[in-house]
Amino acid sequence: MLEQFLAQLVNGLTLGVIYALIAVGYTMVYGVIELINFAHGEIYMLGAFLCVTFISALGIPFYPAIALAMLCCAAFGILLDIVAYRPLRKAPRLAALITAIGMSIFLQNLAMVIWGSRPKPFAQEAVPAYLKLTAVDVAGVHLTWLQVFIFAVTIGMMGGLYLTITRTRIGTAMRALAQNKTAAALMGINVNFVISFTFALGSAMGAVAGVLVSVYYNTLSPTMGYVAGVKAFAAAVLGGIGSVPGAMLGGVVLGVAEALGAGYVSSLYRDGVAYAVLIAVILFRPSGLLGRAVIDKA
Amino acid sequence: MKRKGWLVACIAVAALAFSGSHAFADVIRIGCASPFTGALAPYGDNVKAGVSMMVEEVNAKGGINGSMIEVVYMDELCDPKEAATVSASIARDDTIVGVVGHLCSSAHLAALPTYVRHGIPVISPTATSVTISDQNRDRKGLVWAFRDVYRDDFQGMFLARYAVEKLGLKRIAVFYENNDYGIGLKDAFEKKAKELGVEIVGEEAYVKGTPDFTPQLTKLKAAGPDGLFISGYYNEGALIADQARKVGLDVLKFGADGFDNEDYLKLAKDAAEGTYLTVPFLASEAGPAAQEFMTKYRERFGREVDYMSANAYDAAGILLRAIEQAGPDRAKIREYMASMDTPEKGYAGVSGLTYFDANGDAQKPAFVKMVKGGKFVPAEQLK
Repeated sequence: MLEQFLAQLVNGLTLGVIYALIAVGYTMVYGVIELINFAHGEIYMLGAFLCVTFISALGIPFYPAIALAMLCCAAFGILLDIVAYRPLRKAPRLAALITAIGMSIFLQNLAMVIWGSRPKPFAQEAVPAYLKLTAVDVAGVHLTWLQVFIFAVTIGMMGGLYLTITRTRIGTAMRALAQNKTAAALMGINVNFVISFTFALGSAMGAVAGVLVSVYYNTLSPTMGYVAGVKAFAAAVLGGIGSVPGAMLGGVVLGVAEALGAGYVSSLYRDGVAYAVLIAVILFRPSGLLGRAVIDKA
Repeated sequence: MKRKGWLVACIAVAALAFSGSHAFADVIRIGCASPFTGALAPYGDNVKAGVSMMVEEVNAKGGINGSMIEVVYMDELCDPKEAATVSASIARDDTIVGVVGHLCSSAHLAALPTYVRHGIPVISPTATSVTISDQNRDRKGLVWAFRDVYRDDFQGMFLARYAVEKLGLKRIAVFYENNDYGIGLKDAFEKKAKELGVEIVGEEAYVKGTPDFTPQLTKLKAAGPDGLFISGYYNEGALIADQARKVGLDVLKFGADGFDNEDYLKLAKDAAEGTYLTVPFLASEAGPAAQEFMTKYRERFGREVDYMSANAYDAAGILLRAIEQAGPDRAKIREYMASMDTPEKGYAGVSGLTYFDANGDAQKPAFVKMVKGGKFVPAEQLK
């Protein structure tokens, strides 16, 4: 019994940290410009496809290919902001939201045109062999080095992100923007630059998540971003949208709730259990697990 | 000046339309409704490959009585709502004389009422749901929907017999996709398996779209099965096979025709080894015409033929023969297809001889293949 529980916990944690990695992208953009970037899931998908393309078409090794995919996605995040969201900065929030959904559909279909609609396996030959070996196998907990790698990368990136936000000038500027965009601009902060930086950071982390998922499951498809995006969005809301530690916690809670829900309640209610947790949290803590209650400026 | 410009434009358009109508009189249009975008686009792509090959071959030989065949591809995302819309637009378009589709049972069921009401003959290459046989008649009792594939109940029972008689399984865990196909297949399988004295030790469901199946597999593993029946399609099937190995569920795996695609091998890699699957089309059992088709397919698309493409190729062939024999008229085409009810009047295609029973269902044999050395190879057949 305990063995099964531990195994389910590991299943949930692996899923959860990946949700967390995508969720921070949502939450940061929301924190800074109050936009729910529904195209974020597609950037995650692009990260995976770019990485595979770099490996198979250009022969770049695994780790540099991830780094390159991160860079490309960061640039792409900035481009997305400039093309789709910047012109609507002063428009009603609903307009930007609809544009985001439009971009999501557009990017999905663009990927289908470029890479075809069939799901592809990850370029396994490029993945270092040790990642496939078992790291821990005790009392039902079966961990591969790949899972350890996923945990390590996630924790490392989260730590780095936390330091960036709290200890650097640009992080301070991001927080200032989140408080009040106009006042921040008056203080001499280059608002568009900070927003671009936020998109770049969130997109790079999304790209890493995309690569990790496609290596872990050995599959990538142009539509993979949709479900992941919805889940990550839910995780961001669960943690308190706008809060970075909240997104991390929300992702992990959602992943574990899903795994335990599927394992102990019913597999058909897997998503149901996850969303029930979300609803319960929002009912009793409307600002999410770690979100602060904000007084709306309007 | 401006007004004159308009007049010229109008005349030009009218002239174009007129010349167009002349040109189009030599064209016969058929519809092909399947998912061409969205998550199920790869499956729609298989169907399109088969249909387009058949139509191109007919056109290369000069078409039907001098008329070229044109296929109108209609995307329905395998979504019942979209399928209903697509069928309505086909009904409005008088130039479409018949339809190859739909791919998914759920979509096919949603589109059926429109076809039946408006009298449009339709032939599905892949929709296996049992319910279709009850809903494809109009008020006069005429069957409008045909299919060139066996039904879920047949396949499910066949698989159960195979699992018991050939694979010797005693305790089977079932993992099914929560849709018409997955449930229909699973129900038929379980009923027959229980009759044969097999214990169904666990039953879990999954919803299309999630890449993670480890919680359900961990639970199934705890039930200690000796075989895992995956009732779904190859995309998820490959992930399930791979993850089953990761959670330590190393048992014999088997699935149905939804598994039949090379991508299953590519995505599941080593975990695919030893998977058994039923198919309506088996290369080694197919005749010379099929071998030729397979070679052409490989050259054209750079991948091996899957049963969806083979069935779609034949379904289009059946529709085109009906058009050739009966003329481009919806009611006459239906009549001709309904009359293909004996082996003598059947259609000899690459997937074997097809003729329809009173429900419009083709009587197709099932074959079994397995994965060995990273390839699909014929398995021992059930007599």
